[in-house]
Amino acid sequence: MAKSDGIRILQGLLVFGNVVIGMCGIALTAECIFFVSDPHGLYPLLEATENDDIYAAAWIGIFVGFALFVLSILGIIGVIKSNRTLLLVYIILMLITYAFEMASCITAATHRDFLTPNLFLKQMLERYKKSEPDNNNDKWMIDGVTDTWDKIMVQNQCCGVHGPSDWQEYTSAFRATHNDADYPWPRNCCVLDDQGSPTSVDGCKLGVPGYYNSNGCYDAISGPVNTQAWGVAWFGFAILCWTFFVLLGTMFFWSRIDY
Amino acid sequence: MCSSWVVFTFCCLGQLCAGKSLKPQIAASWLAANNPTHTTVTLQKPFCMFDSSLHPNKSYAVYLYAMEESASAISSLVINSSKPLDSTFQQTRGGQLGPYKAALFNVPNCASPPRLADVGDINKLSDVLKQYLFRVGDDGNCLYDPNFLGICNPPLAPDTTYRFKYLLLDTTEGIVKDQTLWSDAIKTRRVKLPLKIDTWPGRRSGDMIVITSILSVLMFLLLAGFLASVSSVWKAKTALKITKKKKKSKKKKIYKNKSMGLSDPKLFQ
Repeated sequence: MAKSDGIRILQGLLVFGNVVIGMCGIALTAECIFFVSDPHGLYPLLEATENDDIYAAAWIGIFVGFALFVLSILGIIGVIKSNRTLLLVYIILMLITYAFEMASCITAATHRDFLTPNLFLKQMLERYKKSEPDNNNDKWMIDGVTDTWDKIMVQNQCCGVHGPSDWQEYTSAFRATHNDADYPWPRNCCVLDDQGSPTSVDGCKLGVPGYYNSNGCYDAISGPVNTQAWGVAWFGFAILCWTFFVLLGTMFFWSRIDY
Repeated sequence: MCSSWVVFTFCCLGQLCAGKSLKPQIAASWLAANNPTHTTVTLQKPFCMFDSSLHPNKSYAVYLYAMEESASAISSLVINSSKPLDSTFQQTRGGQLGPYKAALFNVPNCASPPRLADVGDINKLSDVLKQYLFRVGDDGNCLYDPNFLGICNPPLAPDTTYRFKYLLLDTTEGIVKDQTLWSDAIKTRRVKLPLKIDTWPGRRSGDMIVITSILSVLMFLLLAGFLASVSSVWKAKTALKITKKKKKSKKKKIYKNKSMGLSDPKLFQ
């Protein structure tokens, strides 16, 4: 009698564990969809650096979240019915999902490290307003980078990655077509009026305080991406830790089912 | 209150500098932060520098000369028998061979300098900058414009050291009345190639190491657990089979014995 009581408690725990997994799965899907939908419009920058694996991680996260939700239902049914075959299928599918989520989690965590200021700096200098694209793909990326930078600089009232001096310290594709005397930095680095033209071109060119944006855009770029990637990585990690115990419990339960 | 105080101190400083060393000065960095750039140098106009040489009822103008520092070995003379030198940017190869005339403007008014507090006012800013500063290398087009007749002030060369000099000219007589010393060496900015930017992130963050290592261990434990449970089930199954077989064979034996007319062997003992 005592043994069957223990099994009943284990069953209850496993059902509870699976309910939590299911809910976390939905949350993970939602979070990853938010990330993939790119609310800050930063995807072109990451795409152009050929470093958009963070988005790949989020895509995996979407499917893994959904799979976890479906599997948790399967698991609950299997545990309640104490059906061996159902539980075996559950365990095997769960292990596969686990491996995928692990991949997503590690990718997100790893690529957070790659989002250095220099990465964006180099790409900005090489692509912003580049006049001669190598091919169609290059042109596509150049347009994406240019538009994104124009937008970021205006929206966040910032300039360059570290600051306007980026445009002065390095040569750039922009410099090849815009001379230094008239365009020490792009016009979007200037403080703009309501019509979108600089309040004072002279003040902006000379760098008179109050007429150009002296702060860099790195925080505006890496901030959102970093936070979202952090979420994907650590939330995924938390789910995996929880799933680990539930899975172990399920395996134990599976091996103790009587015929 | 504060702004007027700033203007006052600035004027005092200006007087002080003019008294001690008469050299063209680079524009103050709080006013023009982007200076020098690759191809331009912004200078303060010569406020109160030529006060002693000015006579009323006469018209004056200021000439600005520029040359590369290396050219000072060749020739740094800008006065040719009390007439100002007339060489242009092209003739001196951008100041490599000697000074060239970069600009001509009116003598800045020492008595009423522009109010630097007006810099914050958008409407007055361009006026203040115009009165107060001069940007060498500002005109990118004059070199290529055949109809351009004025004094051409084309962009300077990057990563090059320049010196500048102001000259006071009496425009009615066309005679040089006064001049400043050559300025301190001012170097235009060097440019770096973006190709050389290193984008490698360097050391891994703790996050990544923790996540990766713990997840690997968890995955290993899970697989081990799975194998253990499968093997335990398999063992249980085979054990079950063996016991079933044993039971069967026992039954068979009993059946055999029964068929031979012996019910239970134990009964005979």
